[in-house]
Amino acid sequence: MYIPLLPSFCLFLRHKMRKNISMEDFNKRAFQVITDGNLDYRQKKHHLAYIAESSQAYPEVSAEAKEALEKKIICDLFEGNAPYRPRYVLPDYALAMKNGIDYLELEAPKDFDEAINFLSILYVQVPSITGYSVYLGNIDQLLLDYVGDLSEEEIYKKMKLFWRFIDRTLPDAFVHINIGPEDNIIARVILRIERELKQVVPNLTLKYDPEISSDELLLEATKTVFEVAKPHIANHPMTAADFKGNYGVVSCYNSLPEGGGSHTLVRLNLKKICDLHQGDLQDFLSNTLKKYCIMTLDIIEARSKYLVETVNYYETDFLAKEGIISLENFSAMFGFYGLAECVNQLMKKSGSQSEYGKDEDANQLGHLILEEMKKIVDARELPYCEANEGKAFFHSQSGIDIDIEETAGARVPIGSEPDIYSHIQAVAPHHHLFTGGISDIFHFDDTIKRNPEAVLDIVKGAFKKGMRMFTFNLSDSEFIRITGYLVRRSDLKEFREEGSRYGSALFAANSMDNANVDCRVSKRVLSHEQVAGKY
Amino acid sequence: MSKLQANISGIIKSSVIDGPGNRMVIFFQACNLNCLYCHNSHTIGLCNLCGICVDACPTNSLQIDTENKRILHQENTCMRCDSCIKSCPENSSPFYKKMSVEEIVSEIHKVRDFISGITVSGGEVMLQVDFLRLLFQTIKSDKELSHLSILIDSNGNIAQDKWDSILPFTDGVMLDLKAFSQENHKKITGYSNETILESIQYLDKRKKLKELRFVLVKGMNNHEDELRKVSQFMSSVSASVGKSIIKMRKHGIRDEYAFVEEPNADDMEMARNIFEESGLNVLMI
Repeated sequence: MYIPLLPSFCLFLRHKMRKNISMEDFNKRAFQVITDGNLDYRQKKHHLAYIAESSQAYPEVSAEAKEALEKKIICDLFEGNAPYRPRYVLPDYALAMKNGIDYLELEAPKDFDEAINFLSILYVQVPSITGYSVYLGNIDQLLLDYVGDLSEEEIYKKMKLFWRFIDRTLPDAFVHINIGPEDNIIARVILRIERELKQVVPNLTLKYDPEISSDELLLEATKTVFEVAKPHIANHPMTAADFKGNYGVVSCYNSLPEGGGSHTLVRLNLKKICDLHQGDLQDFLSNTLKKYCIMTLDIIEARSKYLVETVNYYETDFLAKEGIISLENFSAMFGFYGLAECVNQLMKKSGSQSEYGKDEDANQLGHLILEEMKKIVDARELPYCEANEGKAFFHSQSGIDIDIEETAGARVPIGSEPDIYSHIQAVAPHHHLFTGGISDIFHFDDTIKRNPEAVLDIVKGAFKKGMRMFTFNLSDSEFIRITGYLVRRSDLKEFREEGSRYGSALFAANSMDNANVDCRVSKRVLSHEQVAGKY
Repeated sequence: MSKLQANISGIIKSSVIDGPGNRMVIFFQACNLNCLYCHNSHTIGLCNLCGICVDACPTNSLQIDTENKRILHQENTCMRCDSCIKSCPENSSPFYKKMSVEEIVSEIHKVRDFISGITVSGGEVMLQVDFLRLLFQTIKSDKELSHLSILIDSNGNIAQDKWDSILPFTDGVMLDLKAFSQENHKKITGYSNETILESIQYLDKRKKLKELRFVLVKGMNNHEDELRKVSQFMSSVSASVGKSIIKMRKHGIRDEYAFVEEPNADDMEMARNIFEESGLNVLMI
């Protein structure tokens, strides 16, 4: 999850907001926001909150770590100076629906309408970085008990209105909902509605288990991907095995425990640390990589402590007080990006032309770096990370708008992907490392529409090879999956044209397209955001 | 280990257009028809080591290996200009190779987790039926491969006894019908179609016919009378057999057949209407 704003605004925030700002600056910027007619009320409130948060000092970290944050070697994804809510909150919706919620004066729902109403009210109360909940629950499992005598058509009508409510009220492409693994009427109806409404929100994951999910459900999901590029398909048995209780797939492919989540997500830029590195590969692994991993973990620890000890979030929020979330179900997330560039640079330094994704020796080096990082992350005992035995969840971070030179997480760079089998063989061996989630995006030609069973074969094969998550796009689909969320091709085209009128140089590279696309999403879902770039 | 070998013109490890699901497709060299719209005309003939392609190669990337009776190909200097293929008087190619059953099975093992099955295609794959039988038996008796379905893509110009020898190991056959009348069929393929029509009926009777396709060629088989005969014949085939009309496309056909015309949207629509009048529910491709 990140705040979907223009790169220029993000850069502004990075430079101006990392340090606590002066009262003069504070007044000036707040006034600008207040008087900007192109921001709506909610956007003003969001920006004002961010400016207010920036008046606080950053949680205590070393001078070196502060510098790494400034130079974008380590990135806290614009979570703000003073973390007063966790980054990823996954309420235990089932528990809330069973017990009701005192704080919201909600009794346990008794039928389908009450259940939808209950969830609709709760969703808007769940905190996140953008203000919109990143997780709306394993929705079919939550609603199945309330179906009663309703016919499929009755369910369809109610769910369609519910889906419209979600898209219009939580207009953020990182708002994520899950279905599966059982085949059931709610999951089927949702897939039908997705194909009809073609909304960007909510992002959707199907938990797939070959022992439980039917081929028909996977086939329905596949046909839905043809129309709207979602759902993602999660390897349910593999992911479930990593968690003590239930888990949810939230935001951009983050797998986290239900009834908990993650305090923070801080990510390490592997390309940047490779740029800084002087010595050989061994030296990189044992010194540079280790040093910056530890620095990232220090920042994670400082931010987590601030949230727990200074803000006392887990003692004061109603979700925690009523057991809908609990501190012991939380951990923090250690992310990284730019593995491909890091590997390719290290190969080049050692005199090799081999490339990540294409050549076996480069792929092996990729695996080695990831395994080293995982060891370092696992060796660090972190406070308030009980959900993962005191360790951070290791996460291959799928990128944000300002990533210009770096490929998301451990993905193969766009345009350099080998054939599908080689692609799967290149990335599957490291998927097991990422309890916090990982994603690779595959592209299929349009001809596959006539033969959706072929997708089933490939997904099942990929999961047999150890892939945790499978996401695919059609090469000419109206919907395009970018870092982990969706945009419409027509929106992207429009943005490119607008962008070129601004004479921006941001449109050259594929990776930069991602940034543009991010911003375009925010434009659709949060109107007038381009004006925010002024600040 | 069997000494049997087949002439293989290529293997595609992932195809979504050669039967249901993701499939590995093995293309066999040599055909017993000569369709004027053939998109892979270099798979029709067999190499007789005449050496014309060797002389035609601008980068000297081909050599005759007389001892092993084959053409050697140097990949690093080859520009993929296809001069060799264009110059071949036999409609053959220097690139096909002899492969054993074991070699093909080892290729299948590499992708077995990702596919629903294999499809053998050509050329005319049934010309190498002894090899096919052994290949299919090997697949069906291999624990890790036995779940894979086996489909044959054939032109149907094959005698019944050949089908009998292989159907027990085959999940289905996909066939093209090029024309119903002898005259039109000869014009398009160079051969008559009695055996093909018999094959279609026989395979249908044995419940092995999976797909029957009619390739529409403007001016060759799209006259109303011909379309009525074709649709009548196709409607006599079991309803469970998938039927389609494929628009002939000129991409990749030989220069000497450049005069062949692609059907337009109206031609396709007319064919569909006639087929539907015969009660056929056809897929238009």
